[in-house]
Amino acid sequence: MENAETLTQAIIEMEEEKAMALTRRLLEEGTAPMAIFKAYQNALMAVGKRFEEGVYFIPELILSGNMMNEAMEIIKPYLTEEKSRDDQERIGKIIIATIEGDIHDIGKNIVATLLELNGFEVKDLGVDIAKDQIISEARELDADVIGLSGLLTLSFDPMRELVEALKAEGLRDKIKVIIGGGQMDEQVRDYVGADAFVVDAVSGIKLCKAWVD
Amino acid sequence: MIIIGEKINGTRKKVAEAIRERNSDFISELAVSQADAGSTYLDINAGTAPKREPEDMVWLVETVQSASDLPLCLDTANPEALRPALETANKTPLVNSLSGEKARIEGILPLALEYKTHLIILALDDVVGIPDSSQGRMAIVRRLTDMALAGGLDEDQIFIDPLVTTISTDTENAKITLETIHSAKEAYPTAHITSGLSNISFGMPLRGIINRTFLAMCVAAGLDSAILDSNDRSLMETVMASEMLMGKDRFCMGFNKAYRAGRIGPALEKRNLH
Repeated sequence: MENAETLTQAIIEMEEEKAMALTRRLLEEGTAPMAIFKAYQNALMAVGKRFEEGVYFIPELILSGNMMNEAMEIIKPYLTEEKSRDDQERIGKIIIATIEGDIHDIGKNIVATLLELNGFEVKDLGVDIAKDQIISEARELDADVIGLSGLLTLSFDPMRELVEALKAEGLRDKIKVIIGGGQMDEQVRDYVGADAFVVDAVSGIKLCKAWVD
Repeated sequence: MIIIGEKINGTRKKVAEAIRERNSDFISELAVSQADAGSTYLDINAGTAPKREPEDMVWLVETVQSASDLPLCLDTANPEALRPALETANKTPLVNSLSGEKARIEGILPLALEYKTHLIILALDDVVGIPDSSQGRMAIVRRLTDMALAGGLDEDQIFIDPLVTTISTDTENAKITLETIHSAKEAYPTAHITSGLSNISFGMPLRGIINRTFLAMCVAAGLDSAILDSNDRSLMETVMASEMLMGKDRFCMGFNKAYRAGRIGPALEKRNLH
């Protein structure tokens, strides 16, 4: 019998057409939208794990993310009576951006995808974002974490200024700041005044999960 | 092929350590091994915080110059670090790089013009980032190249970088780079076209085979320079084979000599010579 578990397997195995057809069919047959959503969430977590293990690569992450997005469109009409999944399901809220002065976004995009796969509500502001915008978005979202990406050394000073501004606004104790990029090390973390630095996506996700636990 | 050896880069852990500890032996060895492997330029990137960068760049330039005769590719976005590095360089360097970002137009371009250096021009700016079409990239390249030419650089001092974005995130990405190479070559026939290619395979398995295949395709499109690990033997084999196949290696002598010298193909001691 085809059920949510079959759907999860189809997503994990990158069988896009099968997954979409199954999503439609299960919904038509009366499966709860929430169960469908959970099937996707479970699948994306398994995909993330395979990525960590070096079995899956970025295309698999993107394709599974696309499947999820497509599925959300299919589910929407069925969701009208159910409460939005976000508040109950999401384990934490995070603002992510490449700081002003830098436009590198590969790492940031991967982290944002992985965070979503791991149950975070993620608001990705994009690249070259001024500290004031990041802070005001963090305030609005009531974010637990601000994730700053930067590959250029020129990004260090704006990051430091953002941390200073957080302090000045009395938000520093409420919001963790994590910096990521190929050049990050303990020295940079100390200079910026961040809570942690990471040079790869997976350890960033682990840290964020530990923080909101 | 103009090979820019990429290894002296402070974003690599061991190099960062060597810079911190002023380990000139380590840096010299990197310089010599890249020169022996066939580099034309040696890239110098301190990768340190802006405050320390000027001092670190000068130390790197001095250290590398005392170990190798190759000209340098000064890789920094920080004018405060670029100027002293330019003053220390004893051969006309390649400046890496100008982009359409305001800070670089104001900070990097004037120095390149003042010192009449060779100059890498990146197809990105701070309005759109990296355009996702060759037309968009060429618009930036044209604007910047024309500025550099108007400022007194010769066309053959310009190295246009079409930029390479990852195939894993969008399967159109290689084609955009290839089209940009074509267009750049057409617009500026005597300018060089260079790029760091390994980005193409980010997030993919078997990166080496992807990198080598893409390199060959780029050379066919008009790339005549690359920023790469010249100690990567199989990559250098592809460099030499591609150039030869494009008719840029008279009587195939570059390729065959490199083979006989043991720089490509099996190591000399492993060959069964009859």
